[in-house]
Amino acid sequence: MIIAWQFIIMIALTCSFFAWFLFRPISQSQSLSGDESNIAINQQRQDELKSDINQGLIADDQYQVAESEIISTLATELRLDQKESIAIKPLPWTLTIILIFSVLSLGIYSQLAPKMISSENSLTEPMSMSDSIERLQSYIKENPGDFQALKMLGLAQIGIGNVNQSIEAFESAYLINSKDIDLLLQYASAIAASQDGQFDGKSKVLIDEALSLDPQSIQVLYFSGIVAAHEGNLSGAIEFWEKALYLMSTNHPDRNIIEEALGTVLNLQVK
Amino acid sequence: MLIEVGHFALVLALVISLVLIVVPSVGLYQNKDSLAQLAKPLVWAQGFWITVAFFVLMTAFLTNDFSVKYVAENSNTQLPVLYKASAVWGSHEGSLLLWVFVLSQWTVAVSFFSKRIPSDLINLTLIVLGAISLGFLLFLLFTSNPFERLLIPPPEGSELNPLLQDFGLAVHPPMLYMGYVGLAIPFAFVLSALIRGQLDSTWIRWTRPWVLVSWSFLTIGITLGSWWAYYELGWGGWWFWDPVENASFMPWLVATALIHSLSVSEKRRAFKQWTVLLAIGGFSLSLLGTFLVRSGVLTSVHAFATDPTRGLFILIFLFIVIGGSLVLYTWRSSLLQQSNPFSLLSRETGLLINNILLVTAMLSVLLGTLYPLILDSLNLGKISVGAPYFKAVFVPIMIPGVIALAVFPYVRWKKDSLFRVFNLLKFEWICVVLLTFLSWVFITDNFFVLVSVGLFIWVVIHVLVLFIKRLRSKAKLSMSFIGMVVAHLGIAVFVLGATVTTQLGIEKDIKMNIGETQTIAGYDFVFNGVSPHSKENYSGFIGDISVFKNTNKVAQLNPEKRYYQTGMPMTEASIDPSITRDLYVALGEGLGGEAWSVRIYYKPLVRWIWLGGLMIALGALFAAIDRRYFLRIKS
Repeated sequence: MIIAWQFIIMIALTCSFFAWFLFRPISQSQSLSGDESNIAINQQRQDELKSDINQGLIADDQYQVAESEIISTLATELRLDQKESIAIKPLPWTLTIILIFSVLSLGIYSQLAPKMISSENSLTEPMSMSDSIERLQSYIKENPGDFQALKMLGLAQIGIGNVNQSIEAFESAYLINSKDIDLLLQYASAIAASQDGQFDGKSKVLIDEALSLDPQSIQVLYFSGIVAAHEGNLSGAIEFWEKALYLMSTNHPDRNIIEEALGTVLNLQVK
Repeated sequence: MLIEVGHFALVLALVISLVLIVVPSVGLYQNKDSLAQLAKPLVWAQGFWITVAFFVLMTAFLTNDFSVKYVAENSNTQLPVLYKASAVWGSHEGSLLLWVFVLSQWTVAVSFFSKRIPSDLINLTLIVLGAISLGFLLFLLFTSNPFERLLIPPPEGSELNPLLQDFGLAVHPPMLYMGYVGLAIPFAFVLSALIRGQLDSTWIRWTRPWVLVSWSFLTIGITLGSWWAYYELGWGGWWFWDPVENASFMPWLVATALIHSLSVSEKRRAFKQWTVLLAIGGFSLSLLGTFLVRSGVLTSVHAFATDPTRGLFILIFLFIVIGGSLVLYTWRSSLLQQSNPFSLLSRETGLLINNILLVTAMLSVLLGTLYPLILDSLNLGKISVGAPYFKAVFVPIMIPGVIALAVFPYVRWKKDSLFRVFNLLKFEWICVVLLTFLSWVFITDNFFVLVSVGLFIWVVIHVLVLFIKRLRSKAKLSMSFIGMVVAHLGIAVFVLGATVTTQLGIEKDIKMNIGETQTIAGYDFVFNGVSPHSKENYSGFIGDISVFKNTNKVAQLNPEKRYYQTGMPMTEASIDPSITRDLYVALGEGLGGEAWSVRIYYKPLVRWIWLGGLMIALGALFAAIDRRYFLRIKS
């Protein structure tokens, strides 16, 4: 985890701010009690009522009734609860808040913080794919259990045509998390690439797993359609792709691909 | 490092919300004012750090920092600066950060404008708001972190959804969120009053201006969304009954009922149960909207995410909020029983009818929105509930509401007589019948248009007469009254605009060759051809259409067909606007040679829809600045 001096300053600033208000609390004399507020509001209501009757907006008998209602309302609202405030010792409270604040904020951040942050240079100068792979590999050596890094390595390897290394990386990621839909599909695609584009064997098993995990995923439905089409199950492929199209918005960028695939299969079915 | 500062600022805000829940609560419970009064500084600090986080993310967009996953997925170097800034809330994580940011600003506003509110009530309200922000910050940081980093930053980012590359994205979501999130304020006031067991005048008085302001923002947000959809989607519609649109409309309906219910509770100490339930309902519906948009149960232009974890989190949060509030309501229900009596013909009855109609309308929209989802989740098939259902169910419910709004402002509080009201209104009714008859003779024989014209005249005359009577009685015109008049006129303007444009609008979807002319509603549209056109983030075609009326050129329209980096085609309509009609042209596909498909619309009074919406919002703002909310109370 990165604990930079900026974080310490942020914590110190916040705690000092709270400490200031613990030692010099906002004056209670500037605030109102419920009774004072209710009396003022009902008085104002009575004034409005008087103004209404002066202008003939309400009848006399209604004025009498409304006025007695205001008085009875106020009577039920007044509590006359004169509470005596208890003074506190600000120092122990300040120290407790500082302690809790520092421990909690740094503790939560340590759970969320990135394990490695790209250098400033990498933001301005794009890395080559082989540089990225090297960087990932060295990172994975230090963090062998990082699922995302392994998945990314698999993607990077297949990006430069290293299908076998890609399968290895995906397999390691799969052993860590076998429920990630995206991984299952990428892994299946890599295996299919190693067997001349055939989605059978383990590749098919992975897509079936993805389908059982999320039968509503557009990507999964697309791949399931491909598997069905490879098996010669054209009606199955049509069903998957029609469902995918149904779930897609009308302007989805991948819509054309599925429509094209569906059109091809429909033609084949007609023949 | 700046990104991590933003990230850590969010973590600090989360921890502050925890401290906000615990420390001032201890102060209130143990009567230690110094601790209770810490609520305000805690809120200010939380607001500050959330603002820091928000602007750090915006900086990441403006500086193309693609090491941030969210930036890489929703922006690129070619995106114009305005869209880079508004892309901050263009997708799930950022829009949730906007939600949290808006909530923090509302909370800070409550803490600042609270000098007239009893300190116990305000501190408790801030604690409730702190609990709400805790829920959202947990959701943001643990399921939707906008500061998540990429191990290897890509050299270039992805495309922001082309539909969102528009000025509308800069204004519609912030306004809508101001309204959505603003409903947390009355909810927090209600919960504080229930917890304190003091459902008195104070609570009701100080809740109302907050409801009015948030309702006003919600109205502006919905109106802007409708206007954006009208010009951006390219088929001339202004309301689509899209489930996500409905998700914003339902809290609006409930908040409308809440405003009216609060006025009865404030003036007459009646309807307290209604008021409490409507405040809970309004915020619960805004959370339901969040669930629908972010859970993945909907497939829509608006739907952000398809992550069941996020959906589950919001669902649990929704259950805690609704369940907890209703338990509290049941516990304190005995305090809500007292009510001043009123007769069958009284203004209270009118407002009760208003509440019932608005809540029924909301339930009809809720049913139409959730029914397909429920059927689908039970594997009972997929159905789609669209405009025909909503028009058939929603519109008949709202017509009596529009009629009521022209009558009941005349009726006295508590008790009135039919004879007095009839005598008061008879001349106006004669005017309405006469003017509607004249409209039938001279303008249109369309039944629906005549009904809406009748309603429009009805409301306008009644509102104006009411206004004149107030002036003649030399009564002071309160901002509350002016607000009511403006908002009711806004409803009439909206109803007329919506009916006329729906009933008398003309649409033609045609093939046009160069030099060809099409005549619609007396306007001649001459197609002069299409030429290539490109800008930094898209390329495409631009059409050239001249519009003539009686041989005089009245407009030059240039509709576009754009192709963004993703290849996604976008239709940019060209509109000649005016207060009486819009001429609207959208370019379709090239049909070979020099022919193109073109959609031409004539939209009479379409601007009145948004004018009405803005008048309603303005009315609410007027009412919110009524002097009674600025009452000076001496301690």
